Amino acid sequence: MPAVNKIKIDWVIVICVFLLTLYGLIAIYSATYTSGPQTGTNYFAKQILWILIGFCLMFGILFIPPGWLRVSAYVLYGINLCLLIYLIILPNSGGPSRWIGFGSIQLQPSEFMKPVLVITLAAFLSSNKCSLRNVKDLLTAFVLTLLPFALVLKQPDLGTALTFLVLLIPMLYWKGLRLFVIFVICSPIITFLSSFNFWTFFFIIILICGILLLSRQRAVVFWSVFLLNIIVGIVAPYFWNHLHVYQQQRILNFLGIISDPKGAGYQIIQSKVAIGSGGLIGKGFLHGTQTQLSFLPAQHTDFIFSVLAEEWGFLGAFVILVTFLILLIRGISIASGAKTSFSGLLTAGLVTIFAFQVVVNIGMTLGIMPVTGMPLPFISYGGSSMLSGMIMTGLILNTSLQRYK
Amino acid sequence: MPTFQDKKIVFSTIILLFVFILLVKLFQLQIYERKKYRYFSDMNRIRRVRLLPTRGNIYDRNGNILVENQPSYSLFAVPFESKKEKIINLLTNILNDSTSLVRKKLTEARNPFTPIKIWPNLEFERLVQIEERKLELPGVYFKVEPKRNYPDTVNSAHLLGYLAEVSKNELEALKGEDILQGDIIGKKGIEKAYDKELRGSAGYNFIEVNAFGQEIEDKEFKGEGLPQPGRHLYLTLDLELQKLAENLFADKNGGAVFLDVRNGDVLVLCSKPDFDLNYFSGNIPQNIWNGLINDPSKPLFDRMIQGEFPPGSTFKLVMLAAALEEKTVNAQTTFTCNGYYRFGARVFDCWKKSGHGTVDLTDAIKMSCNVYMYNVSLNMDVDVWARYAKQLGFGKSTGIDLPGERSGNVPDKKYLDTVYKKTGWTKGMLLNLGIGQGDLLTTPIQMAQLAMIFANSGIYYKPHVVQRIVDSQSYEFFLHTATAQQAEGISEQTFSVLRNGMKLVVNGANGTGRACYLPNVVVAGKTGTAQNPHGDDHAWFIGFAPYENPQIAFCVFIENGGGGGAQAAPIARELLKKYFEQQQLFTNKIE
Repeated sequence: MPAVNKIKIDWVIVICVFLLTLYGLIAIYSATYTSGPQTGTNYFAKQILWILIGFCLMFGILFIPPGWLRVSAYVLYGINLCLLIYLIILPNSGGPSRWIGFGSIQLQPSEFMKPVLVITLAAFLSSNKCSLRNVKDLLTAFVLTLLPFALVLKQPDLGTALTFLVLLIPMLYWKGLRLFVIFVICSPIITFLSSFNFWTFFFIIILICGILLLSRQRAVVFWSVFLLNIIVGIVAPYFWNHLHVYQQQRILNFLGIISDPKGAGYQIIQSKVAIGSGGLIGKGFLHGTQTQLSFLPAQHTDFIFSVLAEEWGFLGAFVILVTFLILLIRGISIASGAKTSFSGLLTAGLVTIFAFQVVVNIGMTLGIMPVTGMPLPFISYGGSSMLSGMIMTGLILNTSLQRYK
Repeated sequence: MPTFQDKKIVFSTIILLFVFILLVKLFQLQIYERKKYRYFSDMNRIRRVRLLPTRGNIYDRNGNILVENQPSYSLFAVPFESKKEKIINLLTNILNDSTSLVRKKLTEARNPFTPIKIWPNLEFERLVQIEERKLELPGVYFKVEPKRNYPDTVNSAHLLGYLAEVSKNELEALKGEDILQGDIIGKKGIEKAYDKELRGSAGYNFIEVNAFGQEIEDKEFKGEGLPQPGRHLYLTLDLELQKLAENLFADKNGGAVFLDVRNGDVLVLCSKPDFDLNYFSGNIPQNIWNGLINDPSKPLFDRMIQGEFPPGSTFKLVMLAAALEEKTVNAQTTFTCNGYYRFGARVFDCWKKSGHGTVDLTDAIKMSCNVYMYNVSLNMDVDVWARYAKQLGFGKSTGIDLPGERSGNVPDKKYLDTVYKKTGWTKGMLLNLGIGQGDLLTTPIQMAQLAMIFANSGIYYKPHVVQRIVDSQSYEFFLHTATAQQAEGISEQTFSVLRNGMKLVVNGANGTGRACYLPNVVVAGKTGTAQNPHGDDHAWFIGFAPYENPQIAFCVFIENGGGGGAQAAPIARELLKKYFEQQQLFTNKIE
């Protein structure tokens, strides 16, 4: 057992995470400042508690041997899946819930499904038996992903559900999937999105045909991919109707198909006003009018970036983005230098999750992404997302640790 | 097979690309469009709030209150918070809102953060229910707003008028004045005529609000001026007389006008039937409104200043004044009445079938002989008669300070030629006009003005209902000044002859207006019973009192009421009696 001081922890990542939690605390303090110290939840104190627990978890995970993780992956996956199913069939409340209570605290199993799914996929893809040439294996990877995706979508939590779907592709790429196969996988998603409008659908189908022809595939491949896309384009409206009205509204609004400044667009407008009015250096700590007068929706959770951008300006926002950027690039470096296929896949998947969350969350506050309800890692208030983020960081650090062994 | 190093580069490039996009967008919002969003954020939180002034009160001439303000509770809602099915349903339930007014108002609201009035004049019990369920009704709150209150003294709906939300057309007409959509303005009567004085002027304050439109606690005034309350009006009206008039007309269609002949003050202006003003101070129920507009007795119609009726025999005074001035008759001219008058192939009746015998001019007035008038009319030119009628104030509005006054109609040769294209003007028409029938139309206020002209032997004042306008803060006041006018072309001598006749109508034996006789005051008058195509005769009685040094002129009119002497004169008597009792000219010996 090596002494702790000889363990080469990747301090860059630790410092980045520490800084991000610090930004988060500043923002949460400001965002909940008007609520008053005595009324309601003390978000600030609770968040400190989550951060402390999170760091403990992170350092704990550091010492778990990767092999142990690999073995227990399916067990963790099974437990988490059961929790998600339990949420769906929960008898009491009016509809599906996202939270499970453990005593006085409430946790979101879907948040923990993020690292668990990555571990599971990494374990599956790195096993000796698994080959990407085998369609059965590819389908298994998809089924592993789609199960939690469907369960979380039903909660309904579109943002988290999409995270599951999105992390699979880069992991497959990391495993060595050819770009053409990725195209085949991605084309139905693009078709799905384009099927809202006949002409865009038509155009995408033509484009897909063009790529298929240029890549000189066999006739059977050409026709199966082509027909798949056509079917997706037809079935899409059916899926569409199974989305919640507010989700439909948010997506439509984002796509510019409907313009409703009172409904889904309202949050984006107020967020843009907050960010834009911050200017270069911001309005100052506790001086953001949009924040202090509660114009921002979900200002301590999903829209926390707007709080920081309003009070600390472009400079503050720049610092946050750069911190994330360092964290992500560093994570990818660790992945590429990983000793084992499992660790590399694991880290690549985790970095993808962080990157996706950062881009979608900040993009949402800036009005260039749909409002899907996704927290900003380490900054947004919330125990589950903080713990899940810390666990994922711990896993990345674990990989980096293996490198130096 | 790409190496992990290649894959790292692909990953990093994609991440860098996305972060770069975010930075570009951040730069656009925070640096490039900074000013625009700073403006939006200021507009978000600073709200210019209009502070409405309190409307002035209305008093009678003696300072008795006629119209005042009382607090009423109006329900407001912020659509962003309240436009939810559950809340709308609960509100509809509590308010018993059968017409879905709340739903309509909330769905039609333009700005989701601007509070809108969803229910005016909320009953106290409903208010309590809403307060009890406050937690289920986020964004719903009430505000105290002044509402017009009418102390239980007189109704006088036509005179006082009512308030309602400004219409689009009015908004257009009032451009430049500080009136906004949703404001309450005077719609009828004094409330309309003196709206500007009563209204006051709005003030503005700037308040900081949060996303729910709730004010941030900060009572400091930072606005553009406090609201200026409206001015109070003191009317020329005499509350006691008005009350009596309303009682006397409670079951009749018609009304009374009493004028102070020394300045044109309107002491009584009563038109019945009317409507309950309290219906108009809140949300008027649809069934009541429909009932009012469909009522055949037309309660929304002010008969005193808007009603145009044939004046009947009261108008003989005008024909006689013209004839005396034109010297076609004099006080001693006699004609014989056999109860009818044959003119060509037509027979014109006198109201007294047995005839009045040989009568002179004074008797003709006293007994209201039609045959005498036919004889006088024969020697008259219709245009000359029309000229005298106009000089006595007919064919044009009196200019009373109330909205919607009509001017009646004095037909001349040109008019009759146009209307009766086939026959044109005929002498027979003049016989009818001479006794106040035919195409002649007058308003009761014009007839009261005629009585004033006779009372003052030619001098008259524009009738007016507002005596003083008092600033409610500085107590500075504006007093109405009456300017005397002269009925041109009619001599003192003519008035003297006719006034004598009017005295005998009430005081002489066989006078048609004996029902108005008062023992201690000499009343002069003229009865009228006007035939009309719409039913029973209209009963008229006009006059003035006392005969020497007159104080008061009046017109009593009962639509389809029958004979002027029998129906209208007793009402005039009651009112005169009350007036002179108040003047303390009378002792208890009056009866």
